[in-house]
Amino acid sequence: MNSKERVKKIFSKKKVDRVACFSGMGNVTVEGLKKYDYAFYEIHLDAEKMANAACTSYELYGFECAVAPFDLGIEAEVLGAEMNFYTHKRKEDIVYPTVKKKAIENPGDLSVPEGIAEKGRVPVVLKALEIMQKKVGDDVPVATYILGPYTLAGQIMDLEKLLKMSFKKPDEINALLSSLADFLVELGNIYFDAGIDYLTVREMGAPTDVLSPRMFRNLILPHLKEVFSGVKRPSVLHICGDTNIIVELMWESGATAISVEQKNDVAKTREKLGDEAIIFGNIDPFGTLVQGSVENIRSAVKAAIDGGVDSVWPGCDIWPAVPKENMIAYVKAVEEFGKR
Amino acid sequence: MDEEKRKDILERLKNGVVEFDEDMVREAAQEALDVGMDALDAIMNGLVAGMEEVGELFDKGEYFVPEVLMCADALYAGLDILKPHVKKEDIKVSGQVVIGVVEGDVHDIGKNLVKMMFEVAGFEVIDLGKDVPLEKFVEESLNANADIVALSAMMTTTMLGMPKVIEMIREKNPNAKILIGGAPVSKESAEKWGADGWAPDATNAVKEAINMVRGLKKEVMGEE
Repeated sequence: MNSKERVKKIFSKKKVDRVACFSGMGNVTVEGLKKYDYAFYEIHLDAEKMANAACTSYELYGFECAVAPFDLGIEAEVLGAEMNFYTHKRKEDIVYPTVKKKAIENPGDLSVPEGIAEKGRVPVVLKALEIMQKKVGDDVPVATYILGPYTLAGQIMDLEKLLKMSFKKPDEINALLSSLADFLVELGNIYFDAGIDYLTVREMGAPTDVLSPRMFRNLILPHLKEVFSGVKRPSVLHICGDTNIIVELMWESGATAISVEQKNDVAKTREKLGDEAIIFGNIDPFGTLVQGSVENIRSAVKAAIDGGVDSVWPGCDIWPAVPKENMIAYVKAVEEFGKR
Repeated sequence: MDEEKRKDILERLKNGVVEFDEDMVREAAQEALDVGMDALDAIMNGLVAGMEEVGELFDKGEYFVPEVLMCADALYAGLDILKPHVKKEDIKVSGQVVIGVVEGDVHDIGKNLVKMMFEVAGFEVIDLGKDVPLEKFVEESLNANADIVALSAMMTTTMLGMPKVIEMIREKNPNAKILIGGAPVSKESAEKWGADGWAPDATNAVKEAINMVRGLKKEVMGEE
């Protein structure tokens, strides 16, 4: 059973030889960049470089997927935001692209362009996904991600204003989030039509560290449901932070699977959601993968598997500076502890 | 002035901040001036006391970030009225605060809240904004001969710029107090990097800033 077949079965809850070691988020490493002598900023802007970089964690470590892009600005750019790609930095500097200029002042200002497959860097991502399928698509699944509606709202308008209006003017924010959900469904299905094997929706802007569970239920969840009922499957909902009190709501969103980070107690999550839920998680991408020892990594992987994850996922993007020996130990630990 | 009246006004300023009721705060602030109350007293023991309670409500999980931001707006509503009336001799703090979000990070909510607390206490704040190159913190803190340098980062990847800035500042401006904050920052890293104060989130940063400000005011003014 190769990685592609394994992951496919995991998404349909079929019997597999072992859990998989993959992700729905960025996982390029410095070692991967070195392989092609790329600067980090280059791989956001060129389809071939993006595709090559996206395949390196599989090629170097046997990580079981290829995911592009690597930043969180694709959707915001299509909607009119301006990005900073830090192209002035040195080759060895890892600085993720950020939004330099927001797209809208007020929720009512949103205008979604026609033909989004041609807008911003969407063509770059689509071309990259095509190259990735040709390059490694027989062996590992190829995937991409979109933001959740609320996280995207925070990328295109002032975050402080969004947070306050969520409380004071929920009707206006609800209308904005519905429009963004429609846009995200369209974009997600463009990616599926281009041949991705699964899609991750990252609603990282709405963790319980920021918003109350009540607001999550009333303002965030309805629009996640709109997204998941509109996009093809398999789909994954990823939320960072302490998600223990909202895992039922995450599962209710209609995603094929949910992904949680290290603050989530996966054993409790499994107990709450039962056997039928597909749960991915929950390795700390910095504290464990970058800073941890091989032994730390092995015990974190074992704990996640013992806790009942269907596959081991890092809690966020794998941080490029992860040491080579840690990546090797990580993948090996999943193979060892994940046997079924 | 009647102590009971003073207490009543302070209570309303405080509650207005906690309940994010800007009108209540404005009314109480105006009344404070009308009855001749000391403006700094109203700010520190009314508005700031309210913000401290907001921090506790946040820690208890009763308030979340949107509520805290609205409380901050209520505090500013009072500050706009009271600040012009603070006696000059009450703000004897020399030097300045340099504050900003480190390069690669554009999350500035925490930074803005901490900035507010310094302004409340009468400090002059140089706000470098967000996505600030590391060298700029050092340059600006030297130019301003800053007493406090406050660095914020919301992401692990950008947090790692902090020890570099701390090292550079310590070398050239050893007396500056350095405050670091943001979700990925831990007590261990703060200690390891030699920061003078740290906080994992905006309201704890506010608390830390209040403590630091009170400490500095005490040093400078010989209060209490």
